[in-house]
Amino acid sequence: MDNTVDLSRWRDVPRGVTYRRWTIVVAGLRSLFRIRFFKAVLIVAWVGGALIAGAGFVFSQSLASGGWLETLAQHTSARAEALFTVLAGLMAIYPDIVVRTFFTFVFWVHSFLGLWFSLLALTVLVPQLITRDRASNALIVYLARPLTSVDYLLGKLGIIVGVLLLVWTGPLLFGWLLSMLFATDRDFIVYSLSPLVRALLFNAVAMVALAAIALGVSALGRRPQLTTVVWMSLWLLFGVIAAQPRAAVWLQRLSYTQDLGEVRQEVFRLDAALTDAATNLPILNQQFVTNLTSAGKKAEATDFNGALAALGVFVVASSLVFFRKLRPE
Amino acid sequence: MNAPATAAPLVPPAPRSAGNFVIEAHGLTKVYGAQRALSNVSVQVPPGTIGLLGPNGAGKSTFIKCLLNLETPTAGTAQVLGVDIRARNRASREKVGYSPEQDCHIAGMAGCEYVTYCGQLAGMPFRKARQRTHEILDLVGMGQERYRLVDTYSTGMKQRVKLAQALVHDPEIVFLDEPTNGLDPSGREHILQLVGSLWRDLGISVVMCSHLLRDIERVCDRVMIIGHGRLLEHDSIVGLKSRHRRIVEIAPAGETERFQAALTGAGRTVVKLSNGKLRVESASDSIEWVLELMRDQHLPPAEIVANPDALHELFIQSIAADHG
Repeated sequence: MDNTVDLSRWRDVPRGVTYRRWTIVVAGLRSLFRIRFFKAVLIVAWVGGALIAGAGFVFSQSLASGGWLETLAQHTSARAEALFTVLAGLMAIYPDIVVRTFFTFVFWVHSFLGLWFSLLALTVLVPQLITRDRASNALIVYLARPLTSVDYLLGKLGIIVGVLLLVWTGPLLFGWLLSMLFATDRDFIVYSLSPLVRALLFNAVAMVALAAIALGVSALGRRPQLTTVVWMSLWLLFGVIAAQPRAAVWLQRLSYTQDLGEVRQEVFRLDAALTDAATNLPILNQQFVTNLTSAGKKAEATDFNGALAALGVFVVASSLVFFRKLRPE
Repeated sequence: MNAPATAAPLVPPAPRSAGNFVIEAHGLTKVYGAQRALSNVSVQVPPGTIGLLGPNGAGKSTFIKCLLNLETPTAGTAQVLGVDIRARNRASREKVGYSPEQDCHIAGMAGCEYVTYCGQLAGMPFRKARQRTHEILDLVGMGQERYRLVDTYSTGMKQRVKLAQALVHDPEIVFLDEPTNGLDPSGREHILQLVGSLWRDLGISVVMCSHLLRDIERVCDRVMIIGHGRLLEHDSIVGLKSRHRRIVEIAPAGETERFQAALTGAGRTVVKLSNGKLRVESASDSIEWVLELMRDQHLPPAEIVANPDALHELFIQSIAADHG
């Protein structure tokens, strides 16, 4: 064996801590992309984004003068043509209510999908985050370098944020941008901004809660199977228990998905959008107005403060777990 | 085939000036509950190859971990390469490499990917890290295995990749905790030669923790002995040996009895060991008097070793004195 020390020396100034944290993020995401299940979740999530774009496109084209719906209505019957004229009129007179209600509803639906896809992606990620590093004593590898435990955590947090951006925020923004690209009127852009901001706000709240919980669960044990079971239990088991109609409030607050559901209702205010539409739009069918109002009531948050407090407890408890466990073993 | 290492011409080592210490500790103490793992250790270590000796649980690993900030010292201060480990946490490890005793790696990565990643974590750009990775992996004797997942490596391979990750970012000091554990004899020889050449050829100081005293004696120029969390000895190998009673071990090719008689006749105290060797106390480190005696008495050739287990005896003495 040849072991003459014939090495090129490296005497450059080392890159800063941001680069090192970014290295952790990139390596984590790269290893995730090797998993087929994650790639499948990602594809489906972006199909969801494409569906938002499709819905927005169809919506804006439908109400545009000279659009395909008008043409179709003209070729169908005088009744259809009249109906189209009414819809186009509503859009012309109440663009704020029509566009805002439509996009609030679309983003509200997407928030379910986004959260679901994120939870699926995190199921793959959680055992890889800290659990695997604890199992292979990799914490020493990180902490013996010019990195602190906070840098390590920020790197791991970056992986979670990256995943949520890829499966939730990315498709949401992509869908909205694409639908706005083909919008026939600037009213679509202006009045869809408020629902978009609400969707992003909910996205951010969920990101903070999910990231902390995922880090906490991942730091809990050294066996990937254990952390997967804990993660699934917190998500599905507690979710099912809390979803029971007769479940006590404190039991509902034990499920972070249920808590996020409450936050969703408060942030999106779909109830207000539907009630607003029912009250202000000149809809002649009284039954439709009643249905809209009752749907709005169902979408009302009942214990927003409690849910927010419960999420706060989840975040604090998870933080305590990962800060306690973040020592080389 | 190994990836081509585009090695630049060998740069002569740039050792730190003799006045600087690579490690300076003042009253370094680490307490776990009722147990005092490290007790008021104060030491100034000049650059070079330093052996860290001590029985199991003596505090060797705790000492290294405190210097690397992997454990927070309960009391005391320390500087590594002149950088305060507490005041400048990250900076104190920028030019430091560490190969821990226990198995540690990042699961799901191939050997070369893992070492490159470690280089990047130390602040190396990707291309530089990848280039150095292949050079270092060549150096530690890893071939095609570098493209396999580290999880599938044998103990020896894991030992080599641990050494590689400690060296990839071109540190000025490297801490090696039992670097020859699990290696076969040829692998052990290879790694010892490499460790020995780090200071000599590259100016990289080495702190090597090992239970194998012969490894330490062969590779290191200084020794620190730790027992019960206290620093018992710290001196150069030469200095330590000069404080030790001189022993010459002679393995005659034949006529052992005549050899023994000649030595006794010359006024020496001779002990015949069970392996047939003769152990003689000597007044100095020189073996010239033995050669003279062999020439005068026409004795057969013999293998002569001066101070064969000096470090071992010193180690035992230090630990015994500590217990006493």
